Amino acid sequence: MDLKDIKQIIKVLEGTDVTEIEVEQEGVKVRVKRGGFQPVVPVTPVPVLPRGVEVPPADESASTVEKPMEKDSHKLKTISSPMVGTFYLTPAPDAPPLVEVGSIVTKGQTLCIIEAMKLMNEIEAECSGKITSILVENAQPVEYGEPLFMIEPA
Amino acid sequence: MKVEQPTFDEKILKLLKENRGVYTSGVEIGKNLDLSRTAVWKHMGNLRKAGYEIDAIPNLGYRLLSSPDLMTSAEIESGLKTKYIGKKIHAFSLTDSTNTKAFELALHGAPEGTVIVAEGQRKGKGRLGRKWESPKGVNVYASIVLRPKIAPSSASQITLLAAVATARAIEKATKILPDIKWPNDLLIRNRKVAGILMELDSEADMVNFIVLGIGIDINMDINSLPPDVAKVATSIKNETGRTIERVPLVQELFRQLEKWYEIFKADGFGPIITEWERLSIMAGKYIRVSFLKETKEGVALGLDTDGALLLRLPTGRIERVVAGDVTMVR
Repeated sequence: MDLKDIKQIIKVLEGTDVTEIEVEQEGVKVRVKRGGFQPVVPVTPVPVLPRGVEVPPADESASTVEKPMEKDSHKLKTISSPMVGTFYLTPAPDAPPLVEVGSIVTKGQTLCIIEAMKLMNEIEAECSGKITSILVENAQPVEYGEPLFMIEPA
Repeated sequence: MKVEQPTFDEKILKLLKENRGVYTSGVEIGKNLDLSRTAVWKHMGNLRKAGYEIDAIPNLGYRLLSSPDLMTSAEIESGLKTKYIGKKIHAFSLTDSTNTKAFELALHGAPEGTVIVAEGQRKGKGRLGRKWESPKGVNVYASIVLRPKIAPSSASQITLLAAVATARAIEKATKILPDIKWPNDLLIRNRKVAGILMELDSEADMVNFIVLGIGIDINMDINSLPPDVAKVATSIKNETGRTIERVPLVQELFRQLEKWYEIFKADGFGPIITEWERLSIMAGKYIRVSFLKETKEGVALGLDTDGALLLRLPTGRIERVVAGDVTMVR
């Protein structure tokens, strides 16, 4: 397997929901992960530019990495319930809460579970940041669209 | 993701199954799979050790006499009559939880209908971090990946669908029709014989995938369970005294799931509600619903259009229940 093959694999991932692929060929195993915390392809960090500045097109390898979030500390983000159900802040009754006010969370981290008819829906952080408030008490019913958390984006 | 290749044991088994009833010569098998006759003979030894009865006659070859009731992909795939559920089966002899495995695979893009089965689970999951007793080799533990194009608010309807499909599958395979207790517990003589737990991965307005975990207690000895579980659980064998073959039941389960899922996709939730209410014993009963911090009692009236349970409180007020443990009081 050579660099061309690996580029080929990365190409396959682009435009799909697949974030990780492992390919084994003639005893050589290659794992390509994208959008996560450890991109396989080394990338020079994209500097955060002030608004209004044209960003020159990045080189090809950088396209697999998410753009850095714009920093705006005044804007809190609300995480709302996508369904009617019961709100659980703990994965089990005697387990510690998944998050607390002040917790620093990363995008994709599970914040709570909404249960409806034995369907467990793990609600994830839509962005990285700090939990500034939890708006529902553990084990309370929630409505569709009801705000659950406020996050201060990092 | 790693793509698994069938082993030579599995390939030979497939050949023997295709030629069931007749002898297949070792030379022919060898030629087919590019193996020496000695190698073929060795693989026959492996299969016998796994419980397959294989007859061997010099100059004639090998013939499969009987298969063990094993939850392997080869056994389940052989004679499976579905279009997509179970087309890709990952079978484990022991895993932490088939739901956890299925969730991981689905995150990596496993297609709709992908199935995880296990002979046993170390950390079988129930609701709210509870444990699902999962002794090895006697029950069914299966998790199915579905990718319905629905909003997360509609996803809980699939749990009721799963209850209907599982009840009908048990009926077909064992001639016993379990009752459904809201939302999706299956009971025989008021004891739990099967449980369903779904996990969801979703965007705000669209489901990415659902993992449908189904546990059915089949040949389990109830006395082997912890006493508090044994009080409320049963198995098919416990009810009938007969040992039931698990593979045909699992095949029927996949067939029923696909059938009801197709009905759901074509005609929506209405037909599922009708069938659920037909199979449920709850309507008109006085029940207690336990939540983490409180309990409510009242008369179960039936299902709301979205699958929520309608409960008439003693005050006459009608309340919608979407989560909680239901017990029948009288």
